[in-house]
Order: sequence, then structure tokens, then C-alpha cells
Amino acid sequence: MGDKNKNNRILLAGGAVLVVIAYLVSNSYYQKIMKDAGVGEEPGKTRDYQFEMIVDSPNSAFWQAVYKSAQNTADNHNVLLELKGTNWDAEYDKIDFMNMSIAARVDGIILEYNGEAGLEEKINEAVANGIPVVTVMSDAPHSQRQSFVGVSDYQLGVGYGEQVANYMDEVGTKGNVLILMKRNLDDMNQSQIITQIRNTAMEKAEDPDQIEVNGQNLLSAGTFDSEEAIWDILQQGTIPDILVCMDAESTESARQAVIDYNLTDKVKIIGYYTSEKIMKGVLKGLIPVTCSIDTDQLGRYSVEALTEYLEEGRVNSYYTVDMEFVTTEAAEKMERSEESGEEDPIEEPVSGE
Amino acid sequence: MIAALLLIMNVGFYFQINRSIQKLDNVYASNVDMTLLSDSFEAVQNNVYNYLKVKSSDAILAYYQSEAKYREQLNKLNDRNIDNSVKVLEKNIREMSQTYLKTTAETVSAKRGRNVERYKLKYEETTQLYDYIQSAMNELNNQLFKNNSQSYESLRQVLKYLELTNTVIMLVIVLGGMAFLILTTRGMVKPLTNMAETAELVGQGNFNVKMPNTDAEDEVGVVTRAFNTMVESLDEYVTKTKESMEKEQQMTERQLLMENHLKEAQLKYLRSQINSHFLFNSLNAGAQLAMMEDAEKTGIFVEKMADFFRYNVKKGEEDATLREELEAVDNYIYILNVRFAGDIHFTSQVDESVDNVRIPSMILQPVVENAVNHGIRDIDWEGKIHLTVKKEEGFIRISIRDNGKGMTQEQIENVLAGKAGEQTEEGDSTGIGMNNVISRLELYYEQKNLLQISSEGPGLGTEVTITIPEDRRE
Repeated sequence: MGDKNKNNRILLAGGAVLVVIAYLVSNSYYQKIMKDAGVGEEPGKTRDYQFEMIVDSPNSAFWQAVYKSAQNTADNHNVLLELKGTNWDAEYDKIDFMNMSIAARVDGIILEYNGEAGLEEKINEAVANGIPVVTVMSDAPHSQRQSFVGVSDYQLGVGYGEQVANYMDEVGTKGNVLILMKRNLDDMNQSQIITQIRNTAMEKAEDPDQIEVNGQNLLSAGTFDSEEAIWDILQQGTIPDILVCMDAESTESARQAVIDYNLTDKVKIIGYYTSEKIMKGVLKGLIPVTCSIDTDQLGRYSVEALTEYLEEGRVNSYYTVDMEFVTTEAAEKMERSEESGEEDPIEEPVSGE
Repeated sequence: MIAALLLIMNVGFYFQINRSIQKLDNVYASNVDMTLLSDSFEAVQNNVYNYLKVKSSDAILAYYQSEAKYREQLNKLNDRNIDNSVKVLEKNIREMSQTYLKTTAETVSAKRGRNVERYKLKYEETTQLYDYIQSAMNELNNQLFKNNSQSYESLRQVLKYLELTNTVIMLVIVLGGMAFLILTTRGMVKPLTNMAETAELVGQGNFNVKMPNTDAEDEVGVVTRAFNTMVESLDEYVTKTKESMEKEQQMTERQLLMENHLKEAQLKYLRSQINSHFLFNSLNAGAQLAMMEDAEKTGIFVEKMADFFRYNVKKGEEDATLREELEAVDNYIYILNVRFAGDIHFTSQVDESVDNVRIPSMILQPVVENAVNHGIRDIDWEGKIHLTVKKEEGFIRISIRDNGKGMTQEQIENVLAGKAGEQTEEGDSTGIGMNNVISRLELYYEQKNLLQISSEGPGLGTEVTITIPEDRRE
């Protein structure tokens, strides 16, 4: 019976090994489920600083791109970066966000200043509470803000003015230019843009007297009202020959409105930013030219400005960001180069200040 | 060892299930905490409002209490810059609440100081902050709820999976245990069944079957070995018994044979006994009569006849001395001589030192009778019979010689083989044939060939020699 006993033992040992293997397998499966459940998982890294980013249209493609770049830089500098107003707090405005950030005692604020009443005071209040503020895209130079990142209004004005002048020649010497911006016209900053555009246009055009340059404020418009405002504009008697949009939303709305009202031959849009929709418009010629700001630099510099201030105690008061105007031709070239992998220069680089 | 392994696994599983259930318990705990926090927060705001409205000492006490409680709960919230939306919300709520509580304190103190403008301003700030914090709390609550629902779902799955695994393992263990049990008992039952079958075969008489030899040390092995030993022993025992039974049978046969012969002789004796008794009584009477009539010879003759038959009767069952046998022969010869008018010439030569040797009765007379009837009857010359008894080394030789017809070798062999005696039984004889004599000699002395017959041929006489071992002295 010795053999049989030995056989039995081997069988039992084999069975035991099988069971152990089954246990290990099922255990690892169990661990996987637990991990997927997110139960017992570790929260994220602990960062040194908390910055808040407060802009007008945080969900727009433009600011999302800026935020992404800023986020990357924030990661590299071990900073926690929050973008306000993207979901549950969408009902609040920038003043609210500033209040919240001050109350929450964050370590830094990146603000898109728009000349709103009381916003400058809030900047000062934040700085008084020990929170550095960096303005982005649009400056509040008389406030206590530590730094400004973006394109100066002067630069913008010159750039856009050139573009306007270019198309003045197409339209003819008489031309009606409407500039749409989301800012308070009473603020000195904005009028600089309009002034500059007017100056440059008149300078470059052949018959300055025929050119009329006006600005319209879309600031009071809520979520949907910018679109409504554009529709109103295009319904009125004087349809502008050139419509200059200085933010992405307006550009997109204008493009849509022009198509719908069948005004593609009558109205030329000079747009802002290079979202997918806008680029499609550029390629089709609906939007002959659009202004492209290096969102990557914008995001990066804003975060770096804050961290430098926190670490060094002082910082440059101005960071320039590259700006380009993308024409239809340039857009086509870009598309071709993407497909073939070649590099193609974009036309019309603009020199900074 | 295997049992220990299974136990460890079972314990491991138990702990896993325990942990999972605990986690399940904790899943919505964060939401509960959040709600509590929100309630405390609301209480603070309400109490501030109450105090501003009423300015009673109850109200301010309530405010301080709720404020303390809220602060305590705030401390549980995260206060570090952690890259996780829930944690960020917590930190914001915590920090904003600190500012909020500072503002409420300012509000309350402004109210106490009756600084109406200030407290109203501060109250507005407070309310604004309250609004921010409330929506942050709502958002946090929602996120926690979403996370917790996910966790809950996953944990439910985990429990289901654990249940399944446990069932499987339990089944495996049960089956394994059953299999093990079956194997073990089979290991025990099979040899026993074998043994039972083998035992049956052995019972039927087949001693060559054996159980396969085993070295197992357990009880079954012991029984198996004992069984084999038993079968061997049975075999030997049966063989021995057979042998002894055969021996017994032989002995019984011999005894029966002896009895048979004795019975034969007895029968014959009885027959002759009946005759003899009447006869010698009658003869005795005749002898007396003869004596009374002075017929002396007749009287002696009849007396001798009576003696002879008396001896016949008496000695039917016993052995006798040599002397008594010789006397019987003498009587016989006397009778015959009267019948045949002295034709029978009988001489004897006896060593008297062996007179007392015991020999079977009725041995010598039948031999002499044979010599008379087959030897010297119907011969032309004078018949002579000579009887000698000689003591020799270790035995006694008795010889009866006649000078009669003699025998051929064939006849001698027939007589010795016991084939020739049947015909003359009813005739002129005492009825005791040579066969009887030979057989009784054999049985008495347990030896063969005690009686020899030799003859030199027809017409040259016959000699019958009886050799008797000497050790039966009286």
C-alpha cells in the first residue's frame, strides 16, 4: 500500500498547490477591483502653493489652452492651480472669485482684468492681504498688481490696425470698422486699442477720411448675450465692412452669424484666437485673418511670474507674449505642413514693443 | 500541513471580507460628516442673525457655542495644497471659514459696541462669505457623494466576488475532503474485502490463495499478515489431520481384518463348538459305557476323542502352550490310527525346554491334518509323519514332515497365497484350513512368512516349517 499512499500524497500536494495558486490569482483580481474602486487610494501630491486663475470665459478654447499650459508649469513648480468658474461656481463673477480667493488666503492670483467696476480695488485688497496678483491678457497698470503677462494694448492695436489697413484696400477706401471687445469703454486701456487701431488703419490706408472705426462693448452680456449682440449688430442698418473681434467667443459667434445672414461677401471678420472652429473659418475664407496669441507662453509666464515673486520677492512687471496673425494662406500652409511634416513659416510676424 | 494551509487561507479570506465590510460602513461616512459640518455652519449664521436681531445673552451664548463647535469640526478638513479636487474644496472651505468666523466675530463685537453701520457692513460681508462657503460645501458634498457611490458599487462587487470565491473554495475543500476520505477508506476497505473473498476461497478448501504481502504498518497490514499465517497453518493442519486419519484408517483396517479373521475362526469354532459340545458329552457317556462293558480299548478311544473335541472347544478363543498343542496332535493321530488301522506312522521329537511357549491354538493339528489328507492319503507306500520342535537362536522351529505325495512349486505357492483351501472345508477335516493357520500366525506374531512349505517334488514328501519368535514365553 506504500505506492498508493505515495500517490495519495502527491495528489493532495498537487491539490493544495492548485488551491494556493487559485487563491493568489483571485487575490490579485480582488486587489485590482479594489484599486478600480478607488477605495483606499492615495490622494494627490502635496504642493507648496495654491494659485487661482480668474478669467472671463474659462470654458472657452483659448483659456482652456492657457490653463493647460499654466497647469504644466504649475506642476513643474509644485504649485496647485485652480481655474475658477468652470462648473459649479459658474454663476459667480470675477469680483466674487476675487473675494473667495482673498477669503481662502490663496498664495497667488492670475486675473484677466477687464475694467469691471470694483475689480481694481479687489486687486489692491488682495495685495494688501499678502496675495500677489498677476494680470493676464489685459492689464490694470494703476493697480498694485505685481506683473502683467500678455500683449500690450498698444501692440494689439498696431497689429489689428495693420490688418484693418490691409483689408481697407480690398474693400475700397471707404470702410466701416466695428471693434467688438468685452471691456468697459470707459477704461483708458481699451480706448488705447481702439485709438491705436484707428491710427494705424488711417496711417496705412490710402484715404483715411473714409475710414470709420468704432468700438462696442460686450461686457454686460451674460453667457449668451454676446451672440445676441452680434446678431443685433448685423440686423441694423449699418452693417460694418470689417468686424474686428477681440475674443474667441465673439469671433465664433460672428462667423456663425455671417454665414446665417449670408453676409460672407459683405462682412470681413478679423478674429481672435485659433480654435478649431475659427481655423475652419479661416481656411474657408470666412475669417480672413485671426489673431493668434501664444497661449503656451501666456500660461507659462503667468505662473512663473507668481512663483518668482514668491521666491525672490520681486518680479518683472511685464512679460511679453508672442502674437501672430494667421491668414487663410498661412492656415493652408500650416495644414499642409502638418500633413507632410515640413516646417512652414507663418506670414506676418509682428514685432513687439 | 494541508489543513494548516487551508486554515490560513480561510483566515485570510475572513480578514479580507471583514475589511471590505468595514470600508462599506465607512463609505458614506464622509457625506454624513459633511452634512454635520454644513448644519453647524448654518447654525453659526443663524445665531449671528439672531443675535443681531435680538441681542440677548442667550443668543450670544448660542453663537459662541455654535462657533466653537464649528471650529472644532473645521479642524477635520484638509489644510494642505493637495492635488485632488475634494481636498482643494476642503481647504478652500476651511480657509474661507476662518475668514468667515473672523468676520462674524467682528460683526458681533460691532453689534455689542452698538456700531450700527459697521455691524451692518460686516454682516453683509459675513453673508456674502456664507454664500460662497455654502456653495462650496454643496459642491464638496456632491463630489463626495459621487465618489462614495462609486466606492459603494465597487465594494458591492468585491463582496459578491468574495462570496463566489468563498463558495468555490468551500466546494473545493468539501470535494477535496470527500476525495481524501474516499481514498483513505478505500485503502482500508479494499484489503478487507479482498481478505473476505480470499477467506471464502480458503473455506472452500483452496489453501494456495494468499493475500498479497504488505509492509504496511497499520492495523490492516497486521491483519493481512496474520491472515496469511493462518492460511499456512490451516494448510499444515489439514495435511497433518489427513495423515493421521489415514494412519487411523490403516489401523482400523488392520483391526477389522484381524477381527474378521478371528470372527471367521470363531464362526467355524462355533459351528464346531455346537457339534463339539454335544459330541464330547456324548463321547464321554460312550467312554463310560465302554468302560462299564469292559471294552477298554473302545473306552480309551472314545476318551481320546472326547479330549480332542474338548480341546477344540476350549481353545477356540485362547492361545495355548506348545505342550497342549502337541497333546492335541497326539490325540488326533490316535483317533486317525484307530480309523485307518495304524496306517499313520507318527513320530515326534520335541525339545522340552520350550514346552511352555505360547502359540496360537489349533495351529499344529491342522497342519498335521493337511499332511495326512494331502500327503499320505492314497499312497502306495507306508506313510510317515515326523514332527520336530527345535529351539534355535531367537526362535523355535516346528517341523512337520511327511513322506507323502509331495507338492509342486505351484501348489505350494497357491497354498501360501491362501487360494487353495476352499474346497476341502466341508469334507473330512476339522474345518480349519491352512489359510486360517497362516493368517492367525501372521496376526498373532505380526509377522509374515512364519509358515513355510517345502517339497522336493511329487512323490517326495512335504515339509511344513513353522518359525515362531521366542519372546512369547509364559
